[in-house]
Amino acid sequence: MTQSDILLAEAPGPAVPPARRRRRRPLAAIPYVIIGIYVLAAAIGPVLIDYDPVATEVTERLLPPGSATESGTAWLGTDAVGRDVLAQVVYGARTSFIIGIAVVTLCGLIGVALGAIAGYSGGLSDAVVSRTIDILMAFPGILLAIVIAGLLERGMHVVIIALSVGGWVGFARLSRSITMSTRERDWVDAARIMGVSKSATLTRHIVPFLAGSVVALATIELASAVLSEAALSFLGLGLPPDIVSWGQAIAGGREHLGTAWWITVFPGTALTILVICIGLVGDRLTRRFTRKRD
Amino acid sequence: MTYFIVKRLAIGLLTIWGVVTAVFIVVRLAPGDQATVALGPDATAADIEALRHTLGLDRPLLLQYFSYLGDVVRFDFGESYRFGRPAMDQVIERFPATVQLTLAATVIAIVAGLILGVVAGKKPGSALDRAVSTVALGLQALPPFWVGIMFILIFALQLQVLPSAGGGSLANLVLPAVTLSIPFTALVARMTRSGVAETMSEAFVQTARSKGLTEAQVLTGHVVKNSLIPVVTVVGLQVGTLLGGAVIIETVFAWPGLGSLLVSAVGNRDYAVVQAATVLIALCVIVLNLAADMVNAKLDPRIRLEARR
Amino acid sequence: MTIRTRRSLAAGAGTVALLIVAAACSSDDPASQTGGSESAGGDLTVAGPIPIENLDPHGAASLDAGTQLAARAIFSQLVVSSGPGEFEGELAESWEPNADTSEWTFTLREGVEFSDGTPVTSADVVASFERVLAGDGPLAGNFGGYAAAAPDDSTVVFTSGTPDAAFLGKISSFFVTPQAAANEGFFQEPIGSGPFVVESFEPGATLQLAPNPGYWDGEPALDSLEFQSIPEVAARMTALQTGEIDITWAMPDDQIAQLKSDSNLTVENVASPAVFTMWMNSSTPALQDPAVRRALWQAVDFESIIGSLYPETGTPADSPISPAVLGYAPQEPVPYDPEAAKAALDAAGFDYENTVIRWQFSQANFRNFVDAVVSDLAEIGVTVEPMEKEQAVFLEDLLALNWDMNLQQLGTQGFDAATNLGRLYTCEANRIGYCNEELDQILAQAGSTSDTAQREDLYAQAIEIIWDDAVGMYPMFVEQPYAWRTSVEGFEPVSDGVPYFDEVTVSGD
Repeated sequence: MTQSDILLAEAPGPAVPPARRRRRRPLAAIPYVIIGIYVLAAAIGPVLIDYDPVATEVTERLLPPGSATESGTAWLGTDAVGRDVLAQVVYGARTSFIIGIAVVTLCGLIGVALGAIAGYSGGLSDAVVSRTIDILMAFPGILLAIVIAGLLERGMHVVIIALSVGGWVGFARLSRSITMSTRERDWVDAARIMGVSKSATLTRHIVPFLAGSVVALATIELASAVLSEAALSFLGLGLPPDIVSWGQAIAGGREHLGTAWWITVFPGTALTILVICIGLVGDRLTRRFTRKRD
Repeated sequence: MTYFIVKRLAIGLLTIWGVVTAVFIVVRLAPGDQATVALGPDATAADIEALRHTLGLDRPLLLQYFSYLGDVVRFDFGESYRFGRPAMDQVIERFPATVQLTLAATVIAIVAGLILGVVAGKKPGSALDRAVSTVALGLQALPPFWVGIMFILIFALQLQVLPSAGGGSLANLVLPAVTLSIPFTALVARMTRSGVAETMSEAFVQTARSKGLTEAQVLTGHVVKNSLIPVVTVVGLQVGTLLGGAVIIETVFAWPGLGSLLVSAVGNRDYAVVQAATVLIALCVIVLNLAADMVNAKLDPRIRLEARR
Repeated sequence: MTIRTRRSLAAGAGTVALLIVAAACSSDDPASQTGGSESAGGDLTVAGPIPIENLDPHGAASLDAGTQLAARAIFSQLVVSSGPGEFEGELAESWEPNADTSEWTFTLREGVEFSDGTPVTSADVVASFERVLAGDGPLAGNFGGYAAAAPDDSTVVFTSGTPDAAFLGKISSFFVTPQAAANEGFFQEPIGSGPFVVESFEPGATLQLAPNPGYWDGEPALDSLEFQSIPEVAARMTALQTGEIDITWAMPDDQIAQLKSDSNLTVENVASPAVFTMWMNSSTPALQDPAVRRALWQAVDFESIIGSLYPETGTPADSPISPAVLGYAPQEPVPYDPEAAKAALDAAGFDYENTVIRWQFSQANFRNFVDAVVSDLAEIGVTVEPMEKEQAVFLEDLLALNWDMNLQQLGTQGFDAATNLGRLYTCEANRIGYCNEELDQILAQAGSTSDTAQREDLYAQAIEIIWDDAVGMYPMFVEQPYAWRTSVEGFEPVSDGVPYFDEVTVSGD
């Protein structure tokens, strides 16, 4: 939610001379490349690296990176039951993406729909949506997810729901405020005067205008969903033990921090780099679209 | 202004009611019966039924809801079965530790963020500016719980200069407060940077310069002062995120605050404590946001006007 | 510019420092307060694995390790178990069952007082017992059908409708409080007859105790005793090594080697009544056949798993109850033989394709063990779905038999097989989905005689049936590890992980 505030708040931001920013810098491509590598790893990594999260080898537990095991070399070491850490990093990427994308899609759909309707119609529907947003905003980010995921039974869908309950608010606020300002534009007035129905005006003349900013926000929310999933798993809430996730791997290695740092360090680094890169991309998109909107 | 305040207060009250209701719904949706946990595996079905009756869990849901509302108005969240005392007492007892942690983190964030922001915003577009901005972006995205663990690994286990967990002393506060402050340091740095960059070109800065003030005097006397107020307001608005972060950081560092209490209460199905803690945290957020709103409105009349629409 | 920035930095740092000082002051540091006093016995700081959240030994937390730990320091039991089937009197000087063990008469020790000077009478015992019965805690389930009476000031009679040879084992978890315990707020500043009195208590954080000068068995030598809560394992180990705490226990195996290499520490394991118990639900169609259950047991290489995961505290079990318990009888170990297991499953017509064994557990620290077992079973083609559940859901499902396999570290209260086998394995209890009338009869007989030799014999028969029918897998006996600083003297590790501190002294801190 921090990020959606920025998206809203930074709208009148002339601070940076645009000309300088527009200059292409080769370094700017780095985050995209890294994210690409992650997506590849999540998509085809499981095909290349054979890993069965169920199979353990207790005699090969807590081996340092580069150790030889019966099934090959454990480049990033093994965990407390002898599973390969590298494979966990790769399979964890998949879990993170699945949950992240599901959460963002769900939140985006709900948020944009409610936000656009509230912003365009005003009146009662706006009041209801706005007050619901107020209520959800009162729960600090992850708090609601902790309570929901902690109280319901475990499962990937529970994590997705728990993160979505508070997650759509950002989309709704953004769409609502943009819709409210767009409503007053000439072409919307024109459509209204020409007798275009309310729903058609919304979908044809307003929602397309939202797209850029929503994509920007979705990127940022993706980073935060990935992060929150890891945090939940780290607290031991939400995911069942047989789903590989970075958060669970980090939590599992906590007890061995002094003796087997690799269990926590590698999945954590993978998580950190991914979240930072998505954040960088999201920031760039945000700046582009907030400027365009003005 | 009065209209604005009244409207905001009304919305605040409505929000509090919503929060209280939402918490009730979530807790009732949860599987797992409190009476069963309290009585353990050897209890007879009759015992469990009797306790459910004492706890009022066998009444119709709507009735439970209204009596819960009535209790909440009196700030009574019932007895914690784990602690054998009113849940709110337990929550209030842990609250100062959380306040300490969040306050320390806020101060660190404001101080460090301002310095970074001024350094970067002084010469917009310079290499230093770009470096600070990129680092700030990175910091904002760092997973706090992971940073906390790395701090434990480095400072507590490798260097052995700071304790890894627990509460109470100065040394105990350092790691969790710094960890919690990181994303907010980045946020403050970014805000200050744009604020400073903007002000640097404004007329009164030029005037100050032409009056012969040194660059340092101009910066602290005019530029920073100007960027400070929005920074503080935004920090007020971010208090929710800060408290949410504290929940996790407290668990990482075993800081004896509300967050670690809440996480263990969720695990123990101590509904009374879950409700009390959640509502108290939400209440803090609502009140502080309200305060930040008011300050904002006082400073910026446009907001008041918008409220009228 | 530089100068000004620095000043603002310094100002900011000052604010932080102020806050931190405030933080430091607000928490009173007990060590520095009591550290100055002249010490004969010293100040002892203890951190167990479970925080002390509640001091009420009768309520919902009564069987919590944290509550029991505090209760053993503050209150007194009637009897204390001192070994398999052996008990020592604490508040009770002597006790006597009637012929069929359905009535137990206790004679109280003379001249025992609560720390406020009032004498401990049989009325207090009865009131405490009634508080347990009426209470909303797990202890009540032990005493279904019981009533207590006080014919005179120093005699208490407990009567049950049915014979109960294991009553002593059960009553050893029962603490006597003054009658005032029923009053609201009593447990904020409780009064007991134990070796220590409460100075201050922050639930879930610290419990500060002072010796009770009027303790009937002699005032403890310690100047003060403090229980701290350090939930994070690594932090607890560090605190022990740096001397912030003097005693801890229940350390994970992976930490023990490091502690052993520290010359300032003594590390010792004691046999405990706990057994890793993996019941298999006999009412699940796929697990109905004892041959299937036994084959599954055979398919897991428990020896490697225990050797790798629990090198310090685990030993392969040869009985469903531990050697520390009355009634223990060793059985023929089940050897690891995946091929024989596969053959047996094939012979029994086990449906590999469509059977998913739902294995429930509730503690995160079982994860490694569970993963390893699941992996071994997957090797022979058996699918097990590990289900980690929150305590509440776990308990509900446990009682509803909503599981195919269950994992618990099962202790035996009072070190008497009756509280384990006799309580859990009957048809009536229906806790495992297993029902065997022959076993029922043996257990009933064992539960209704006070002749120890006869009971041991009967439990040996019962254990043989349970073991051969593979009602569950019983992979491992758990030892309880303790570690304490060498400056601590007189500390006696106890097998149930809830130690006493009245004989302890600390030298030259």
